[in-house]
Amino acid sequence: VAEARRQWSPRDRAEAYTELDHPADLFLEIHGSDLPILFEKALCALYDQVAELEGFTARRDLTLAVEATGLAEALRALLAEALYRFATEGFVATGAEVTVEETGATRVRAVARLWGETADKLRHVLTTEVKAVTYHQLAVEALPGDGWRARVLLDV
Amino acid sequence: METPHLHQVSEWLWELPPTGGMRVPGRVYADSGLVEALREDQSLTQVANVAHLPGILCCSLAMPDIHFGYGFPIGGVAAFGVEDGVVSPGGVGYDINCGCRLLATDLQARDVRDRIRPLVDQLFRDVPSGVGSSGAIAKLPRKELERVLVRGAAWAVERGYGSALDLSHTEDGGALPGADPGAVSERAYVRGQDQVGTLGSGNHFLEVQVVEEIFDRDAAAAYGLFQDQVTVMVHCGSRGLGYQVCEDYLEVMAAATRRYRIELPDRQLACAPVTSPEGRQYLAAMACAANYAWANRQMIMHLTEGALLHALHVSPKQLNLRLVYDVAHNIAKVETHQVAAASIAACVHRKGATRAFGPGRAEVPPDHRAVGQPVLIPGDMGTASFVCKGTEEAMVQTFGSTCHGAGRVMSRAQALKRAKGRAIDKELAAAGVFVRSQGHKTLGEEMPEAYKDVERVVAVMDGAGISPRVARLRPLGVVKG
Repeated sequence: VAEARRQWSPRDRAEAYTELDHPADLFLEIHGSDLPILFEKALCALYDQVAELEGFTARRDLTLAVEATGLAEALRALLAEALYRFATEGFVATGAEVTVEETGATRVRAVARLWGETADKLRHVLTTEVKAVTYHQLAVEALPGDGWRARVLLDV
Repeated sequence: METPHLHQVSEWLWELPPTGGMRVPGRVYADSGLVEALREDQSLTQVANVAHLPGILCCSLAMPDIHFGYGFPIGGVAAFGVEDGVVSPGGVGYDINCGCRLLATDLQARDVRDRIRPLVDQLFRDVPSGVGSSGAIAKLPRKELERVLVRGAAWAVERGYGSALDLSHTEDGGALPGADPGAVSERAYVRGQDQVGTLGSGNHFLEVQVVEEIFDRDAAAAYGLFQDQVTVMVHCGSRGLGYQVCEDYLEVMAAATRRYRIELPDRQLACAPVTSPEGRQYLAAMACAANYAWANRQMIMHLTEGALLHALHVSPKQLNLRLVYDVAHNIAKVETHQVAAASIAACVHRKGATRAFGPGRAEVPPDHRAVGQPVLIPGDMGTASFVCKGTEEAMVQTFGSTCHGAGRVMSRAQALKRAKGRAIDKELAAAGVFVRSQGHKTLGEEMPEAYKDVERVVAVMDGAGISPRVARLRPLGVVKG
């Protein structure tokens, strides 16, 4: 089953996001053609920051579901949930599939199916301790023309 | 909001006059060069934003190591009246009670010079560091962790990991009162159960140093410091437990801001009245995280002592490891201050700022009371750190506060770009500093050029009479997470 799941390639990771200038923390900008892809790329960016993903493979699945008011808050909640599972279980994803749906006038539900494995310090390299996914300059916006852009600041 | 306009008050002090909804002025400690660099920085807007908050006393303060932070600037100090003011998690930050601890020994530089590599290797083995580091001690059961959250550093001392003198030489005795384990979420408990005694990653470090210069002989003697002495500095905080407490309460405070109809120029300043149920609950949870951090640094001191004894082949008596002082630099606390000739209970937020209480204050340990509280200001890993002292001037001007470090001048991405193709560890070794790190990325991000000149930052607060220099400490060996 794992073979059917696409893993983020080095190119996917390089193209998923850019780092904006910030004096102390990690300020990430992510572009996506639609919301599920935007959210998936944001997850890719988070995992790319916390670990060297080359050494990881898809050994187990993890599903994260969050609901929040507005797209930006839903994205933040999803990333915060992924970070919590990394901090407590060591789970690092190598790929993901996301659905994003509006559940009310302003409520947004995001569900991410992740595949990856538990970090093993003998085999894997963990690179950055992300303390939190902040609300600082948090944004998800539709671009004029086509596509979406998100900005997320990780406190490190 | 436009970048606020600063005008000079004195050689070391600049003011942002109140405009718009600012209730008080902003005051920035800096020299003219540091101020020039700040003019383009959004952190000045953050100083002005903090001045909008209800119940703020005197002024919104910024130290010379100020930089852009979450809501409040890093290097910011703000005091609020307990009766009419607010408390804000953004004024403390995610790493609650991130702080510094300085250990003194009876050893001199010549005693460690030839053994610095094995010593740093031993420290690297014995004190868990790096991303998600854990396992310094067995995973703590829930009840035991609750005791850590209430007792703080005393929890470790009661188990044989330190002495009563350590508690006397720790800010607030190593435990804030009012800690309520019931105010801490299950998630925070899970994150905290196996991280007591761990350094973590990022800018946290464990550093073997030598006292390179003494500026104030009386204060140095009171602190037990002498020329050429070997010291060890620890910089870390409350690990995942503290991050989770902040995360949990940002949500609570966002709702409280709406409930109490507090108008904010930036939603990251989310806050609640100090006396409200939300405000009290946050302070109770924050105290738990602060106490966890003090227990953490106390355990790291114990692990450090073992590493020093083992690597240097000295007896505990020859080593005579003792705590000079332990300070918090991300915290909010209720303290008594004189404001307009009245004694006022104030909730003082220090975010990237250090308490610097002057002589005579009851909070200063008896053996330091005549000279003022020791203030620990770490620099970058290639240059120096400082021991300074608190003053009466600090009590008058800054609610007994001063700077907390050099402050970053370069983003992590810029630093990594600058470090590309270079071996930072070898460059530091050539300069006489042996460094061990879990990864090359951290070394690049934390390289000396990424920070402001700590000498200059410290000189501002010395010149302003807030925290004069006592001693300069030069790094010999560093463990980075």
